[in-house]
Amino acid sequence: MLKYTSKKLENRLRKLHKSHEDTLLYPNYKQIQTAIYDIDKHYIFGTYPKAHTFDATQKGILYEKRKVEPYYLGAAYILVAKPINEAPIVNLKKNILFFMLIAGLVFSVLGYYLGRLFVAPMRESLNRMNQFIQDTTHELNTPISTILTNIEMIEALNTEHQNAKELKRIEIASKTLSRIYDDLSYLNLNHHYHRKIETIDFSALTEERIAYFSSMAKAKDIKIVRHIVEGVQVEMDKNDALRLIDNLCSNAIKYNKHHGTLEVILNHETLVISDTGIGIKKEDLKHILQRFNRANKSEGGFGIGLHIVSAVCENYGFELEMYSEINEGTEVRVRWEK
Amino acid sequence: MGKIVLVWALLLGVFAYSDGLESRCLACHKAQQIPNDLIYRRYLLKYSSAKNIENAIYRYLKNPQKEHSIMPPQFFLKFPMKEKRSMDERTLRQSIEQFIQKFDIKKKLVLEKRSH
Repeated sequence: MLKYTSKKLENRLRKLHKSHEDTLLYPNYKQIQTAIYDIDKHYIFGTYPKAHTFDATQKGILYEKRKVEPYYLGAAYILVAKPINEAPIVNLKKNILFFMLIAGLVFSVLGYYLGRLFVAPMRESLNRMNQFIQDTTHELNTPISTILTNIEMIEALNTEHQNAKELKRIEIASKTLSRIYDDLSYLNLNHHYHRKIETIDFSALTEERIAYFSSMAKAKDIKIVRHIVEGVQVEMDKNDALRLIDNLCSNAIKYNKHHGTLEVILNHETLVISDTGIGIKKEDLKHILQRFNRANKSEGGFGIGLHIVSAVCENYGFELEMYSEINEGTEVRVRWEK
Repeated sequence: MGKIVLVWALLLGVFAYSDGLESRCLACHKAQQIPNDLIYRRYLLKYSSAKNIENAIYRYLKNPQKEHSIMPPQFFLKFPMKEKRSMDERTLRQSIEQFIQKFDIKKKLVLEKRSH
């Protein structure tokens, strides 16, 4: 626009230069100021104020300045200036903002909808798995309890059956089932059940659980080494404590080698349970605490044990550390206070 | 009274000043029908500023030749070549200044009323 006006003015100057009228009419453009300057940049004529020199610029004004030749009417420089009209710029800014808000809103809704659409199969699958676990645990409770009670009764009443291998195997299998049931129901009821926080004699509880797992350890000829300091007390829910010890002991037996060692260290600072088992790869250690994640699929299980341990530690502010070497073993360390 | 005398003196001075250009230069130009305005426009087209024009005219008047003239060679077929005049430096400069002022384009320029 300014360039066009500048060209128009130059053409007009050419015509005026050739005119021999007494008065030469200098063009007066609407909303545009112009001026002509000689070769020394001295003001000749124009609608642009004389007080402003050719090289000076003012804020809020658009300029088109150029040199022209030949010098019609002596004009060597042409200046065209136009004050910037802020109104359209403000309007444009408003429109852009409005458009961006609308676009943001539309894309958010679209993103949410598409996200739901893409995640739907995964969510459905998880829901189905949870539903299956819920149904299974509900149905398993009664038969497992019945089997365990009856084994205890057989052992108590018929002393000749006490050392029968078959009976021991049934006992181990039932205890495994019972523990799985406990874990699954813990996960399902995690957010809904009321925790009773009390002072637990962790030393006694650990001894009790080691005794509970002794038959399973014996089946794999695993040596249990205990370094349990007496009188370690922890403020927590008993079921949470059980889940913590049971899962760590169960894993240490399940993934241990035959004739391996299970070491349990308990003191006022930490609970350490280590095994001499198959170990976990370093890259798997990062994800091992996630639900349904299993580093080794050689043994049965749902991959929820360490997830429960992690959840319990998080609930009570315990620090959980894991160290593992392939074919060397795994050590899980729980620090009572961070 | 003193002021009136001063104003009259100034006015007389101005008349004498412009009268100098008329008698020294333009009287002959008029007689020979030399187009002063056209000459001035040619200077303007080439030199743009008053200072440059003044110097160019001075150079020509000091040594009036076709090659120093702003006018094309055909011009001298119709109009005779100016003779070199003996004019003192001050008067020559003054006359050129007066010539430039007389034909100054700014005096003719008027702002157009209507807007495009």
